[in-house]
Amino acid sequence: MATTTFERWGRELTIAGAIVLFLLPLIGIPGKTYLTLTIAGVAMGMLLFLVASGVSIIFGLMDVINFAHGALFAWGAYVGFSIFQSLMNWVEADSVLQNFAVFLIALVAAMMVVALLGVILEKVIIRRVYGFHLFQILITFGATVVLVELIRILWGPNDEVMIVPLTFSRNWDILDIIVYRYRVICIVIGLIVYGVIQFVLKKTKLGTIVRAGVENRDMVQAMGHNIFLLFTGVFAAGAGLAALGGLAMSIFSRQVYPDMGSTYLLFAFIVVIIGGLGSVTGSLVGALIVGLSYNYVAYLVPWAAAGVNVLIMIIILLIRPTGLFPAGK
Amino acid sequence: MAEPTPVQIFRIAEKRKQYRSGSFFLKIGILALFVLVPFVFPSYKTVDLAMQIIMFATLVASFDILLGYTGILSFGHGMFFGIGAYCVAFLIGKYGMPSYLNLVLGFVTAALTASALALLISFLSLRVKAIFFAMITLAIAELAIVLATGLSHFTGGEDGISLSMPGIFAVSFSIGDFMGLEITGRVLTYYFIFLSCLGLFLLMLRFTHSPLGRVLQAIRDNVQRAEALGYKTFIFQIISITFGCVVAAIIGGLYAMWVGYVNPASSLEVMAIMLNVLLMVIIGGMGTLYGGIVGAAFLLITQTFLPDLQNLAKDFFPQATLLHNVLERWLLLFGILFILVVIFFPKGVIGSVQDYISRRKTILLGKE
Repeated sequence: MATTTFERWGRELTIAGAIVLFLLPLIGIPGKTYLTLTIAGVAMGMLLFLVASGVSIIFGLMDVINFAHGALFAWGAYVGFSIFQSLMNWVEADSVLQNFAVFLIALVAAMMVVALLGVILEKVIIRRVYGFHLFQILITFGATVVLVELIRILWGPNDEVMIVPLTFSRNWDILDIIVYRYRVICIVIGLIVYGVIQFVLKKTKLGTIVRAGVENRDMVQAMGHNIFLLFTGVFAAGAGLAALGGLAMSIFSRQVYPDMGSTYLLFAFIVVIIGGLGSVTGSLVGALIVGLSYNYVAYLVPWAAAGVNVLIMIIILLIRPTGLFPAGK
Repeated sequence: MAEPTPVQIFRIAEKRKQYRSGSFFLKIGILALFVLVPFVFPSYKTVDLAMQIIMFATLVASFDILLGYTGILSFGHGMFFGIGAYCVAFLIGKYGMPSYLNLVLGFVTAALTASALALLISFLSLRVKAIFFAMITLAIAELAIVLATGLSHFTGGEDGISLSMPGIFAVSFSIGDFMGLEITGRVLTYYFIFLSCLGLFLLMLRFTHSPLGRVLQAIRDNVQRAEALGYKTFIFQIISITFGCVVAAIIGGLYAMWVGYVNPASSLEVMAIMLNVLLMVIIGGMGTLYGGIVGAAFLLITQTFLPDLQNLAKDFFPQATLLHNVLERWLLLFGILFILVVIFFPKGVIGSVQDYISRRKTILLGKE
């Protein structure tokens, strides 16, 4: 039977198909450009993964669709922007150490502030709408409006050029291929975050409780764990990831603007739909697919770049409606 | 003839009261108000405001068919509105002469395009989960904006398309005075759009009060139960989504007729239109259709008179810069209002009032 063959060889076929698709753009793109684009695509994918993983984890555990994730993302970028502004001499210093130090300070500050915002958001408004998807979307959409308007009040309504630490704007020249340093840093950050998430989820007690919560919330509660505290914590962690993504993305694209969240939230939704809502690995794979295809298509057919992600999403929905890596539920 | 059932008795009693109840006079009053606006307040600003309220109230009602009657949140309603506007603009502005035939063709194309797209999106998203609809419509609506801006030789890009009206709707058309008002093409357009919106609204009322509408409400309240009763929820949801989206497209076409131009910023902007529509439907009340009128009137009137309010604040409190900042960012206030309404009055103004009235009725019945 045909289905049995597919079941037996499905995984190998999928991987082979993925490799073929990955190399397919080589037909239209010269080798060196292809490598540059691939690095750019993977870097972009990693950044999208940072945004999407938060959405995915929050949905997986709490069954909450967080439309305010984009606003939290923008908040992260703006807090980092303020830190860079106040430590300008470190940012402009010609020292890798100082540059990294200021980046880390900005990162920690952004994640702290936004995680705090996330806690407030979860405690004050989202807690009231557990179990009602429609109201979750509505209320987090309202929260987005408020958060974005607060950005406009606090930082002004205009686009700003993001301040980039000096060392991040340099590049390496490896065998005539120009590698932007920051893209490599993005890839490293993405891999570290993926590793940390997987470690926490798979190897620690907390992770076990969280995964159990995804499977059966009531049972976890019956075992004596405070599930609401856990929800708040996970939401704060997701918000922190959004802040990290926002800061990293604003350095990548070198601009901050109040509405930036909605653009990337869209990418994040496409990523989680492709990868499967609730799965971290799915988010990573989905983000890489979106990042790579966006960069290849933007080089080959510039006007189609915006559409290709939606197209991929539609194809995935047609053949596998639950996404590539459907989560437990 | 058989004995009438209690439900039938109730319905007959309701029908008898229909033309004497307060809400009936309220509806007539609102209708009369909109009919008289061009005569009583002929200034451009007021007529434009009244027209916007009419169109947005109908648009919000069509959105309510999805949100309040089917329980599906769409972020693509602004896109369908824009599709309608562009279809009409293509046929009488860019690719055709302004004639009645082209105008009708424009509306037909708008309805067909919208229904095809709505069918596609609902087939894609409803297979998985109803919440996917929100995400997918958001993505596709964003794509539509990019396409409308990017394919500039086809859509006119950022500049958009300006269009002129055929025959009696043209700006230069005039048939002389009537009760002190010059009946221009603009006034005739006002009444044409008013009647069209009224027709659409009545159609939607008919739709939601039909047996089909009842099934939709059953699905919204409890999908499993509706399925267990033997209804194919998928089909019903698709019908309702398509209906709502087609109505939105037609209103988009009417909007293009009124404004006289379309561009991505005015007619496709997801955030702007969707935000307005969402605010209106939440403030007015979900699942009531009439809520749209209250929400649209409240929001549009506030937005129109907001600059005056800002100046007033500047005159009275010249020192309070924070107040000025907050008033400048009025959206913040609307956002907070939105959250508060969702938490405390999930049924909105109309829903809460209806609840209050029915509670009072029960109390009165109890006393008897």
